[in-house]
Amino acid sequence: MPSLLDFTNELLGGLIVTVQIAVLSILGCAITSLVLGVLTASKKLPSQLTGRIAVEILRGTSVVVYLFWVYYALPLIPGMPSLSAFSASVLVISLVAGGYGAEIVRAGIAAIPAGQIDACHALGLTGWQSLIRVVIPQAVSQIVPAFGSLAVDVVKWTTVVSFVGVSDLFYVANAVRTVTFDTISIYGLLALIYIVLCTITSLFFRAIEWFLPLNRALRASRRPHGILIKPAPLFSRMKVKS
Amino acid sequence: MTWDWTFALEIVPTLLWGVWITILITTASCVIALIGGLALAIIADTTGWIGKTTIRLLIELLRGVPILVLLFFGFYALPQLGVILSPYVIGISVLGVVYAAYCSEVYRGALITIPSGMRDASVALGLSPFVTWTRILIPLAISKSIPALINYILLTYRQTAMLFAIGVPVLMSQAQILSYERFRYLEPYTLAGLIYILLNIPFIIILHKFNKEQ
Repeated sequence: MPSLLDFTNELLGGLIVTVQIAVLSILGCAITSLVLGVLTASKKLPSQLTGRIAVEILRGTSVVVYLFWVYYALPLIPGMPSLSAFSASVLVISLVAGGYGAEIVRAGIAAIPAGQIDACHALGLTGWQSLIRVVIPQAVSQIVPAFGSLAVDVVKWTTVVSFVGVSDLFYVANAVRTVTFDTISIYGLLALIYIVLCTITSLFFRAIEWFLPLNRALRASRRPHGILIKPAPLFSRMKVKS
Repeated sequence: MTWDWTFALEIVPTLLWGVWITILITTASCVIALIGGLALAIIADTTGWIGKTTIRLLIELLRGVPILVLLFFGFYALPQLGVILSPYVIGISVLGVVYAAYCSEVYRGALITIPSGMRDASVALGLSPFVTWTRILIPLAISKSIPALINYILLTYRQTAMLFAIGVPVLMSQAQILSYERFRYLEPYTLAGLIYILLNIPFIIILHKFNKEQ
């Protein structure tokens, strides 16, 4: 009977597809979140309402439901494109995760004191300029940590693409199962690989967080500026006490 | 292929059966998640570092592994170990245990924010640890975590669609079976998606109410 090790190449191929889908979806999710997040954070009622409804619909159900709809039902509507399984997966995961991400972006923007927007106004910046120059750089340091945990969710959601026939890691592993029947080691291995993938994703976003301009500035402000402030010598402190 | 109203009306009862199963599974998994999460948080709070580390590892494991992998592990790998469970039991317990891990983080956060003076006061009043937990700490932790917990209930409900993979007749599987039997994909999947989205509304209203109160 063939063992799990005979299928290393196939499993690696599956892993590459999973990573591709995850990376593309995280990028797509970032774009969707930014657009929808700015829309929901807007003060104008029509755009805010559009954003809110779009977010609630996108978050409304799990990725599987949308994926099946886009892959099986959408091409049947006249004039709608018939997407390949791979592109349908990336599109659906990007949009659904973007619904959750929009909420993160909105909260990040809402956390910025209103006084700063007024100050931008007083300084004569246009709405767009104050968004790009003042609001977003500050909001990003709030957004990135939460976005990191969303990205971990995206990595886990990629498993559903196997149901529309994308040969990702989960699909390959299930195919291998039907040959080797050694189910425990296969699903153990899968669990291990996904934990490693999630950890890598989470560490990557920690690294981004570390290098953000605002966080670097905060760290620098905590550091004494070139002057080493020595703690007062023990002797003098004792003297003061007595 | 165009929308066929007679077919759409014909499949509604089958889909509603799926809705019923979805609601049952959501309720059962949420009970496990809410109570299990609280138990995990209390155990992690009261035991020493060995208990804390074990629970930490368990939580990281449950949060790092996709639900589908756990479901398939229960469905295909457990029988190899001699444990044969029905798909319902596997689905409910996987969702329950995974979201228990998430909920325990919520409770842990709430327990941290309770001022340590509360615990000191309970000791000073001579309350037993049991009374301190059941009368003071647990009610406080629960009332602080309700909005976050409703969010996780909502997520559990959305994830029930995953259970179609192991053949639990949730709404998603009903739609899938109908479309394979009749070779019409448009109506079942569209109706199922719409029902899934509409069922969110009660949760959103409750969440909105809680956010307003605060």
